[in-house]
Amino acid sequence: MHVSTDILTWVAVVLTVGIFSFLWKDNPFYKFCEHLFVGISLGYFISLTWYNAVYPDLFRPLFVQPLSEVSLGNKLLFIIPLLLGLCYFCRFIPRVSWLVRFPMAFVLGWGAGVTIPAVLQTSIIRQMQGTFLTPGIFARWDVFLWAIISFVGVVCSVLYFFFSREHKGALKVASETGIVFLMVGFGASFGYTVMARMSLLIGRFQFLLRDWLGLIQ
Amino acid sequence: MKFFDALQRIDRRIIYIVMGLLVIFPLVKPLGLGVSSGPRARTLFDAVDSIPAGRTLLISVDFDPSSMPELYPMLAALMRHAFARDVKVLLCGLWVTGAGLADKAVTEIPPEYGKKYGDDVVYLGWKAGIDAVILGMGENIKNVFPTDYYGHPLDSLRMMNEVVRLRDIPMAVAISAGTPGYTDWLNFAQSRYGLRLGAGVTAVSAADAYPYLQTGQLTGLLAGMKGGAEYEVLVQKKDYSRAYMPAVAAMDSQSLAHVVIMLLVIVGNIAYFATRKRGA
Repeated sequence: MHVSTDILTWVAVVLTVGIFSFLWKDNPFYKFCEHLFVGISLGYFISLTWYNAVYPDLFRPLFVQPLSEVSLGNKLLFIIPLLLGLCYFCRFIPRVSWLVRFPMAFVLGWGAGVTIPAVLQTSIIRQMQGTFLTPGIFARWDVFLWAIISFVGVVCSVLYFFFSREHKGALKVASETGIVFLMVGFGASFGYTVMARMSLLIGRFQFLLRDWLGLIQ
Repeated sequence: MKFFDALQRIDRRIIYIVMGLLVIFPLVKPLGLGVSSGPRARTLFDAVDSIPAGRTLLISVDFDPSSMPELYPMLAALMRHAFARDVKVLLCGLWVTGAGLADKAVTEIPPEYGKKYGDDVVYLGWKAGIDAVILGMGENIKNVFPTDYYGHPLDSLRMMNEVVRLRDIPMAVAISAGTPGYTDWLNFAQSRYGLRLGAGVTAVSAADAYPYLQTGQLTGLLAGMKGGAEYEVLVQKKDYSRAYMPAVAAMDSQSLAHVVIMLLVIVGNIAYFATRKRGA
């Protein structure tokens, strides 16, 4: 056993114990750690955003770099994102709060235009292609079996969300089959979630036993 | 029947203590249950293994310290794999709070293989914009990242003379804890620029990633700490690394915890149905 003498390790240990104390019951120590985490995360986010995005991409070319490095035309172009960004702060001034709609409209318009075709291609068209029953699936029995299961699963799960007709007869059988597939999906997600939470717990114990107490290599 | 009633009223803190002890014990005294590598991890390993020496592997560090136990071992193992084969590594990130984690990896891992910053590894850092960042990298990386994370102009880094845009990179791996993450790389890099993409994800989001694996959009998948352990084993099996394997070391604890949870679920259900029957 070799207990760490690093002050930062001890700070991390105290905060870890503080967060774990919530497992016993809610307490002021836990609340302190939680608020500290939120505050530091936000401060870190603001600092990195300034030094990695706002300063090098806007402030520096607009106000710091001379005209020999950034032309007047480019400097004028930078004023557009500056004004759009400042419009976000108008939300705090009721008289001009409507100005926030300009940057919102820009972001939504640009975001929708860029994202919709990409998501359609990646998550719908390619996924639909993945469910097609092609001659290639007959090459091996296991490929054929999984292709059929995928096909039935997709069709039945989609039919479960078909609400324009009462679920009776064949539609009822299909939608109930769809529920089975959905439940299997939820079960897999739950199992993975348990695994994830355990991994995080193990990670913290590894830190306590290795970095702090030196009990493990 | 009192037994079943008592089972349903177990104080949650007792369960926490039992779970804690079961996690700690194998960490101190490993049980040696072993880790086998699944086909998804092997596919990713083979894909990285097939990158010619001298070319570049892009790793996107899209996670923060809260998912570090699951994802950092993947990052370390991937970098060790690449360096052992003389493949260069280019890192970037879509999570602002993950910037320091990639910095840690860049500081610690390349010296193990005698690799030099700027020649064999470059860390671009983080930029706001997600989809705009990826699309911009598809056109010209220097337009999006004129300087690296440490403020060096990209023109001054020898490795970046050979990597101008995403098409110059044979493969990328997105290590993601959620959104933004591998889905953004799929949307904007894989489908638009044809970038071969693998993924390492937290176990929580693993089930969502499987459909992309089945369609071939993802080349290999590492799911949670187990995925990291599988990759660590593959890297060590080929003698690419002799470094400590944190994910492998955690697998005994993970297995024991899973057994206990399964038992609790089974016992809990038996107790519930036994008392419900009596109530009816």
